[in-house]
Order: sequence, then C-alpha cells, then structure tokens
Amino acid sequence: MIPTSRETDLEEPVDWPTALLVPGARQDDALRRLHLLMVRAARHQVWRMRELLEGHGPELYDELANSAADEAVTVLLAKLDTFEGRSRFTTWAYKFAILQAATEVRRQSWAQREVTLEDWETWCDPRPEPEQEAEASDLASAVERAMAVALTPYQRKIAVALLVDQVPIDVLAERLGTTRGALYKALHEARGRLRAHLVAHGYLAADGRRGGSR
Amino acid sequence: MTRPGRLTDEAAQLLTLSTEPWLSCEDCFRLMDTFVEAVLVDPDTTAFPQMRVHLRGCGACAEEAASLLDLLVEDRGSH
Ligand SMILES: [Zn+2]
Repeated sequence: MIPTSRETDLEEPVDWPTALLVPGARQDDALRRLHLLMVRAARHQVWRMRELLEGHGPELYDELANSAADEAVTVLLAKLDTFEGRSRFTTWAYKFAILQAATEVRRQSWAQREVTLEDWETWCDPRPEPEQEAEASDLASAVERAMAVALTPYQRKIAVALLVDQVPIDVLAERLGTTRGALYKALHEARGRLRAHLVAHGYLAADGRRGGSR
Repeated sequence: MTRPGRLTDEAAQLLTLSTEPWLSCEDCFRLMDTFVEAVLVDPDTTAFPQMRVHLRGCGACAEEAASLLDLLVEDRGSH
C-alpha cells in the first residue's frame, strides 16, 4: 500500500528528541507532529478557561491557542535537552503548551484591568493585641491582625493581591516586573510568618491545625 | 476603619495554608508530567507529596496540572 496522507508517511517518533534534532525528512515530520500536539494542548487549555474571556468567541480562542502553541514549540525546543524520559514525550510536551496558553488567557483576561497594590495597613485597623479582644476570636480577624504586624509591606501587598483580590500570579508578576516563582516564594514566606504568628498567639496549633488553644 | 474587616474565611484559610515542604513553581513545572502520569495510574498516589502541597497553595500550577491530567484522560479515551 502506498501511503496516501502525510500522517501515514512516518510513524510517531519513538525517540522524539533525536527526531527533532537531526535534520532531514524525519525532523520535518517530527516538527509538524509536535506543532499539532501543541495546538491541541493549547486549545484544550484556552477552552477550559474560556469563561475568563467573556465577550469573546472562538475566533479569539483560536488566536490565543495558535500563538501559545507557536511560543510553546520554541520554548520546548530550547529545553529539549532537559527531557529525561521520565514521562511520555507527549505528556512532557503538553505541559509547555498548557502553561503558555494559560498564561496568555490570564494575561488577556486582565488586559483591561488595573492591578492596585493596596497596602493592608492603610485600612486594617492595627489594634495590636488580640489577646483580650472577644470579637477577635475568629481566624479571619486574627489573620487580619497578624497581617498588620507580622508581614512586611511587600509581603502584605503580594498576599492581598494574590489571595484576597485573586490577581493571577503570572499577571501580577508581569505587572511588577518579577517572576511567578519569585512571587510564590514571597507568598510562601508570608504564609510562614502568618502561621508562626498565629501559633504564637494560640490561633493555630503548632501542628498547623486550626484552633490552637482558643 | 472599623470592624468587621474584609477578610473572608476562605481568604483567611488560603493565607494561612501550610506550604511546607517548599517546592517552587519552577520545580512544580519540572515534575508536572511525571506527577500527572502517576496520578493517572493511581489517583491516590502518595508519591510527590511536595507536589500535592504546592498545588494546594498555588492556583495557577493547580489549574495547569488539572488540565494536563484532563488532556491525558481525553487522549486515553480516544485511543
Ligand atoms: Zn506554582
């Protein structure tokens, strides 16, 4: 039988990295297949998040998916040497397209929105000592107070933006000229400080469970 | 400003979530494919405990991992 479609010319590569690296017909085929995989994953991601793209339709979804897929292919090829074969290549590849598409959807959905970094301190009544306050016995009020005293202004702004105002982490990173990783680290440290403060004041048990001695 | 404050219980929970042991978003991304394949085999797998912690504390990574899992499930179904 003579293969009639390009899909049947060559089998899916067993060794993707080699197929993608060594010039020739096999490489062209591998690149084409890789691009198809990336478009599939990017589309999947955009459709998952489409409620964030209110007022837009399939045209924008496709546009975002295609641009995310193109970008993801570039990123993947630059990182090809980090593929260790611990998962299937296709699974490894998908994650690049998913990350890129999710980032683009979040960026698009916040494109017209301002991110205000409000300092909690400006409106949180910093009454410092919770111990005697009856109304302070619930966790939310205790956390508010802990935020005023246990966090740096930067940690407070980051924590409020990410967890109270629900600004997506990559959108916030872009606006602040930092990275998602750096923001998550700052958030991690802020959480650690809040927890330590709440444990010290009896709102959390030392093992981390809510309720401590109160 | 007077009470009540502006924190919801949900936000208070998120703010005080334990994210130990530490795992960065970069390492979460690095492990995501192997983690998701392990979950596909056994949804209750206890491998990658640090991934579970990170995904509870990081909404963006959680969305991406859930999506990858979903895509693999779809692929499986179509084969
Ligand atoms: Zn993350």
